[in-house]
Amino acid sequence: MMRLAWRNLRKHPVRALLTIGSMAVAVFLLCTLISLITTLEAGVKQAGTRRLWIQSAVSLFVDLPTSYESKIQAVDGVARVAKWQWFGGYYQERSNFFAQFAVDPAKLFELWPELEIANGTKESFVGRRDTCVIGQGLADEYGWKVGDVIPIIGGLFAKPDESSWDFEVAAVYRSTKATVDDRTLFFHWENFYETMKSITGTPPNVGVFIVERTPEAEPTSIMATIDGMFENGPQRVQTTTEAEFNLQFVSMIGNLPRFIAFIGAGVLIAIVLATVNTMLMAAREQTHEIGILKALGFADRSVFWYFLGQAVLLCAIGGGIGLAIVQVTSPGLAASMASAFPGYKVLASTYATAGLVALAVGLVAGVIPAWQSSHLNSVNALRAEN
Amino acid sequence: MSEPMIDVRAVSKRYKRGGETLTVLDQLDLQIEPGGFYALMGPSGSGKSTLLNLIGGLDHADGGQVIVDGEDVGRLTGSDLSQWRADTIGFVFQGFNLIPVLTAQENIELPLSLAPISRARRRKNAAYALELVGMSDRATHRPQQLSGGQEQRVAIARAIATDPKVILADEPTGDLDRDSADAVLTLMRRLNEEFQKTILMVTHDPLAAARADKIIQLDKGRLQGIQENSA
Amino acid sequence: MKVPLHYNLRSLFVRRSSTLLTIFGIGATVAVLAGVLALQQGFATLFTESGREGLVMFLRPGATNEGDSLWQRDRAERLVKTLPEIATDEDGRPLASIECYLAIRRARVAGGETNVPIRGVEPMSKTLHADVVSVDGQWFKPGADEVVVGEKLVGRIQNCRVGDVIQLNITPMRVVGILKSEGPFASEIWGDLDRILEALNRPTPNRVIARLDAGVSWRELDTRQRKDKEVPAKVLSEREYLTGQTAALSIILLSLGGFLALVMGTAAVFTATNTMLSAIAARTYEIGILLATGFRPIPIFFSFLFESLVLGLLGGAVGCLMALPLNGVETGTTNFQTFTEIAFAFRVTPTVLITSVLFSLVLGLLGGAIPAWRAARLTAIEALRRR
Repeated sequence: MMRLAWRNLRKHPVRALLTIGSMAVAVFLLCTLISLITTLEAGVKQAGTRRLWIQSAVSLFVDLPTSYESKIQAVDGVARVAKWQWFGGYYQERSNFFAQFAVDPAKLFELWPELEIANGTKESFVGRRDTCVIGQGLADEYGWKVGDVIPIIGGLFAKPDESSWDFEVAAVYRSTKATVDDRTLFFHWENFYETMKSITGTPPNVGVFIVERTPEAEPTSIMATIDGMFENGPQRVQTTTEAEFNLQFVSMIGNLPRFIAFIGAGVLIAIVLATVNTMLMAAREQTHEIGILKALGFADRSVFWYFLGQAVLLCAIGGGIGLAIVQVTSPGLAASMASAFPGYKVLASTYATAGLVALAVGLVAGVIPAWQSSHLNSVNALRAEN
Repeated sequence: MSEPMIDVRAVSKRYKRGGETLTVLDQLDLQIEPGGFYALMGPSGSGKSTLLNLIGGLDHADGGQVIVDGEDVGRLTGSDLSQWRADTIGFVFQGFNLIPVLTAQENIELPLSLAPISRARRRKNAAYALELVGMSDRATHRPQQLSGGQEQRVAIARAIATDPKVILADEPTGDLDRDSADAVLTLMRRLNEEFQKTILMVTHDPLAAARADKIIQLDKGRLQGIQENSA
Repeated sequence: MKVPLHYNLRSLFVRRSSTLLTIFGIGATVAVLAGVLALQQGFATLFTESGREGLVMFLRPGATNEGDSLWQRDRAERLVKTLPEIATDEDGRPLASIECYLAIRRARVAGGETNVPIRGVEPMSKTLHADVVSVDGQWFKPGADEVVVGEKLVGRIQNCRVGDVIQLNITPMRVVGILKSEGPFASEIWGDLDRILEALNRPTPNRVIARLDAGVSWRELDTRQRKDKEVPAKVLSEREYLTGQTAALSIILLSLGGFLALVMGTAAVFTATNTMLSAIAARTYEIGILLATGFRPIPIFFSFLFESLVLGLLGGAVGCLMALPLNGVETGTTNFQTFTEIAFAFRVTPTVLITSVLFSLVLGLLGGAIPAWRAARLTAIEALRRR
């Protein structure tokens, strides 16, 4: 029977290929859409549990006084505290966007054990104030290597003559978790501090403080203590876990997940309808054969499974091809979306979901024609034109 | 006299067409002996094909009983009916009704796949059936690569592959030229004589009917008579 | 000889289950595209239509938006007082205002946090932004810790009803009124410039907004002011600025729409091709009769193409109908230039509808081409034999 199903699919190669093609396209699209969401959420899901983030309670764009550092360090349960400043510059063109942060170099690798040095050494970065460390992704994209000097134009922190900030690459890192993407440049806080002080005459503030708590410390009590310390100003702070901190950037996307779900529903409806259509056509053309099968003594049940098998076979092939396309194209997609969706990755669970959806579409699309065929009156079926 | 192989008792069949009720079979009684070769004749619309479909369990009677090999066909439903049909009946149609995407061998294997036998047995039985109809050299041909006579012989091989007791043939020579028709009729004769198949064959062709043992005449859904062929 | 078109229309009707499935398949594709376009249109019109050409703003050179642009207060004031091109009112006061702007954290009513723009303005701002009116309560008093909130924030953001208190760092601000505006201001909180700067502990305003004397071109002023030694500034009209604000999101939405149209369109073309192929296969015998009667292959080709176009058009109509209920639905999204959330409504404009229908016709055309070609290449004898 399966052989007959297979032969019948091959009898209409164009139709079978078109159905397989649309299924493949749908699976590809579905995987891409799901991956956009999982990529966004990866930073939240994999967030470090030891790190706490201290930011202004007022605004994303309000900095905190440097004097807060020593006060935070003194809080019970705080193992270390580091400064973290969004730099917001760009390389040559504004469209060459990637993140740069001014950080405390020695603490960077202590706070983020997930950063591994791929090239160069930690020591050469920590030891020299005019150096930086960059992610493998940036190194690959721009062809930078250890020893190169990267000129960054300060967007938020412009030099008076619009000249660039120059950072020598001391090391290249690889990130083993989604908490830090591999398209980031880290440079010395001291460099940032001194340069800004000489430009504006006033010392700059700190964007965010990051605390590593001691293993036995209770995070909620640390957060409450720190928030309470600055209740009366000059700047109120909000201390959160890393997951909550990352979540605020995800929720900025607003309705995107719902929007993507809407699109995904549209895709699925279109594909289910297309496959139902194909299966109805196939059933209509095979009416006569159904009559023969029944006259030969095949039960309604067998005819039902025979048609359902055809639909599922088509969708399984299409789905398989779609997953293969996803597999092949995802590195390219990841590269082209690197600035909007850094760390774009198709998870194994996404493959599984899309594969199951393909089979489910086959089942749904096959049931109606299969049921109709199995209930055909064999006398009428035999009378049908071949 | 032994039990009849096919016992049609007061069978009626009506169709509704455009508000009108058409009586195709009217209280028909008919007994077919085991091992007999019967031709069923009558003008168009006399109910020949309908009778064949009722005996084969493709259709249900509105009244009366159809008993084949001791089984009340009207009582069988669903998969029981299908299974019974697969075991007991072999169909041969005017239009041959081979499945175009399958080879001759595969067409014959198709009904065998319903029987609880091994794949190798299936192969062997199908090959034997092909040999019986003299088509062994065409085993891997598709229906469209065969002539009409050859197609019909494959169709007959398919009908006998499951070793059914009864073969129902609906105008098996209707689409064939004289020589091919002769070959098919000779084959059917042989199935009847050598393998004791009970054969009921609907036909318009007096020459085809002449090869049967008995000729049943049907008109307007009623039995007109059964005559013995002297030859 | 032309093939009678009602022949094709009738055949669509005869095969209606297949026709309907195809129409809804195309419809779903078109609806998705229309939805994305309606989102982009809603966002873009909110910004561009509310911007006025006669109003100009002064930003720090190099800044792309208000958030980036930080003025020293004295420089901004010098600009307002000394620039001769700025128009004056009856009392001789310059029609200009210094404004500050910051995205502040606010809790959504539905849970979670978002960034809401707060704007500190001088009294002249209300004259300049003529479309901004207070609809409920009253306007804030200059020098008081009072704010008015945009109507789009009410019910979406916590503490945004008249009488509520918005905590700004360590200063409580009382909500005294609701602000209404056709443009993005309806998603903002407004208060007194000096009070807001002080509450935020910031010395720097963000922009100067002004009306120019009639006949003065802002482009010329921009060229001159950029090179100014004392107060270098980037000058642009409000409309130009607001249009620029939509660019990033518009590009994202349009490329998303394009990507979806391409991918889903491919699938829809496949479906349409399938439907037409089966329609033609079922009618091979009829085509044989047409050919035998003396119809030429070309008219047969076009008649089947027409059939497919009708299929596409009906799909387009269904898609538009499916997208229409979106019109006016309020949604919020982040303006990635300022990282603030802007509320706006989907707008199913004529542009959206026309684009969608054209798209559906293209789907029909592409889907019908191969099958129609196949039909036209049949010969009469071949077609008649394939009964």
